[in-house]
Amino acid sequence: MNPAEQASDTERIAQARAGNAEAWGELYRQYAPAIFRFCRRTMPTREDAEDATMDIFIKIRQKLGQYDSGRPFSAWLYTVAANHCWDLLRRRRVRQDLETGEIENMPLEHPDPGQLEQLIEHRTSKQVRCALGELPARARMALVLRYYAEMSYDDIAATLGVRRAFVGVVLLRARHQLRDALGERGAAHLAAGGAT
Amino acid sequence: MNHFDEMVCLLYLEGQLEPSRAREVAAHAGECAQCRTLLHALERESRVLAAALTEENEPLPARLLSTRGWGVPSWVWTVAFGLFVAGAYWLWTDTIAPWLDQLSNAGFGGTDLVSTLLFSGAFWEGWSDMIDVIEISALVIAGIAAFGLIRRRLRRFTTVAVMMSALALALALPQPAGAAEVRHGRSVLIPAAETVHNDLIVTGPAVRIDGTVEGDVIAFTRNLTVTGHVTGDIIAFAGEMRMDGVVDGNVRVISNMVTLEGSVGKNVTSIVNTLDLTSKGQVGGGLISVGGQTTLDGHIHRDLFGIIGRTYLDGVIGGQMWLRGGSLAVTSTAEIDGPATFRGREQPMIAAGAKLASPIRVETTQEVRRSRRSSVRLAIHGIFSYGVALLIGILLVTVLPGFFRATLRETGSIGLPIGVGALALITGAFLLVLGILLIFVGVGAGVAGVLAYAPILYIAQVFVGAWLGNKVMGETSNVASAVIGRIALGLFILHVVGLIPILGALVWLTVLLWGTGAILLGFYQMSRVETAALAE
Repeated sequence: MNPAEQASDTERIAQARAGNAEAWGELYRQYAPAIFRFCRRTMPTREDAEDATMDIFIKIRQKLGQYDSGRPFSAWLYTVAANHCWDLLRRRRVRQDLETGEIENMPLEHPDPGQLEQLIEHRTSKQVRCALGELPARARMALVLRYYAEMSYDDIAATLGVRRAFVGVVLLRARHQLRDALGERGAAHLAAGGAT
Repeated sequence: MNHFDEMVCLLYLEGQLEPSRAREVAAHAGECAQCRTLLHALERESRVLAAALTEENEPLPARLLSTRGWGVPSWVWTVAFGLFVAGAYWLWTDTIAPWLDQLSNAGFGGTDLVSTLLFSGAFWEGWSDMIDVIEISALVIAGIAAFGLIRRRLRRFTTVAVMMSALALALALPQPAGAAEVRHGRSVLIPAAETVHNDLIVTGPAVRIDGTVEGDVIAFTRNLTVTGHVTGDIIAFAGEMRMDGVVDGNVRVISNMVTLEGSVGKNVTSIVNTLDLTSKGQVGGGLISVGGQTTLDGHIHRDLFGIIGRTYLDGVIGGQMWLRGGSLAVTSTAEIDGPATFRGREQPMIAAGAKLASPIRVETTQEVRRSRRSSVRLAIHGIFSYGVALLIGILLVTVLPGFFRATLRETGSIGLPIGVGALALITGAFLLVLGILLIFVGVGAGVAGVLAYAPILYIAQVFVGAWLGNKVMGETSNVASAVIGRIALGLFILHVVGLIPILGALVWLTVLLWGTGAILLGFYQMSRVETAALAE
């Protein structure tokens, strides 16, 4: 975002805070697609994502007064969105895939770099997203927070409720799970191709 | 050579290592091809991930395109409609509820809100107050809507408001159909010497017609007196109506008390608390009446068809009689020239001198009524109604999942659906009443309209129940069984709370308004999504 856009953003936020519906509408139109995509990546279904997007913006409008203008607006938005979505997923009692104990005991193998390279090569974005959808909620959430919302390790730790030192482990474990999912998909694809 | 593990490599790439440790990794990677390849692969994986996640692969859904309701904070709606509902509740307890007891005594176990409103004479005593309430709320909503239009931000709230207020205004202000003459005032008088060569629409607390009207009279009033001559029909919503004059056409009336002392050329159709056809009264056609107490001293030239609490028959019925109600007394001066049927709680009292073409066929319903009051019956009824509501809920979740979701979402915003529901109920009642009186072909239309509200009450409680279940058990995923479980719990809570005497009635009223509003908004959302999909 260039300085001019940043300035107009700050201005809009100030106007929206003062109750200007026009400014709020512009903010919404500007950020709704990104937040919807965020929800789409973290929530299990499209309907869930739509509902979550609406609820997040209702929350944001109520909390606009709490926004610290020293921080980038989008980062704050993602924090609110992440907390909302994670809260929803937890309330649904989604299987807690990774307890802290498990994280500590997880073996850290040195993968074959050549194999890894091969695995991620020739994968379309769609395949990656499909594989991501098969991951447990926490793994999916961690990857989205880091590689979509570009959150810091501190913020990820706060959102997911894990110690900061374990964020790297959660992310690495998530990547392993993603590789497994991609590998299975690839194998299934090959098997299907071989059969025909 | 000691290689770094994948964790360290990842943390290095993500810039999470201590500077000294990072330098170590960098130095090692310079010499070790295997670790360099791993770093490269991990970095590439990060890029692939970020690209897959950030790709704009689907557009923003239609329902998220508009900034719903941003124009007016939701608390404004909540407060406005809260006041509206409080007003309606006051009207209910102050004027309608007392009458409900009378109705019950008269033999009507009125449980349906709308049928109660329709058959309650006391409701029409508050007619002018109701018009005021609706006019004011319509003005307020129209004002908000205009504000929204000016700002070129026609959002969903305002669209709903415009529709509702237009409807409310259209109903609150009677349409001057054709070249009808409209009169309005504190007290409207057509003096004996005056002749209105037109249809006449009159509104005001008191209306008196001593002169001649060459056309129909449509009256919205607290007190209507007709001593003159009306060549067309009289259609009246009146607290009290007295007709001493001559009407060549029909009389159609919803009122608390009607006295017919004059002559009606054609039929009389009435929904009244007390109807009195005096000994001078003449009805050229038949009489159809739904009401509490009816005294018939005059002459009905054709049939009598009635659902009436207590009937006293002194006069003459030229055709047949079909009557359902609490009690019937036929005096010695009475005369029925056709076959007669009475269905009621008590055996009719028939004086020996009464002239009957054939003996009155009697069906007593006492047995049923008594057992209906028993607690066992009440419990069975409760379980049955719970079962039906749950069944409808299951059907909605499985057959119309999209509509269910959209409506449940609307239910969550509480204030708006309750407000929309309140407006819809009031306007719906108006439409129903107007429909009955203006396009009158029989009581059938009205009864059908009233019956249409029963399924709405059931569907309404499904959504409020689902919302309540979600609140208690937490939001759920899309698994239908989990959703149904929450509906079952929510409905159970509603039904149990609904048993509490006064609170229960209030809860059911809120559920009705809330659910109806949510259903309307849900339909609206669905239609928008479909329209947007078609437009793409």
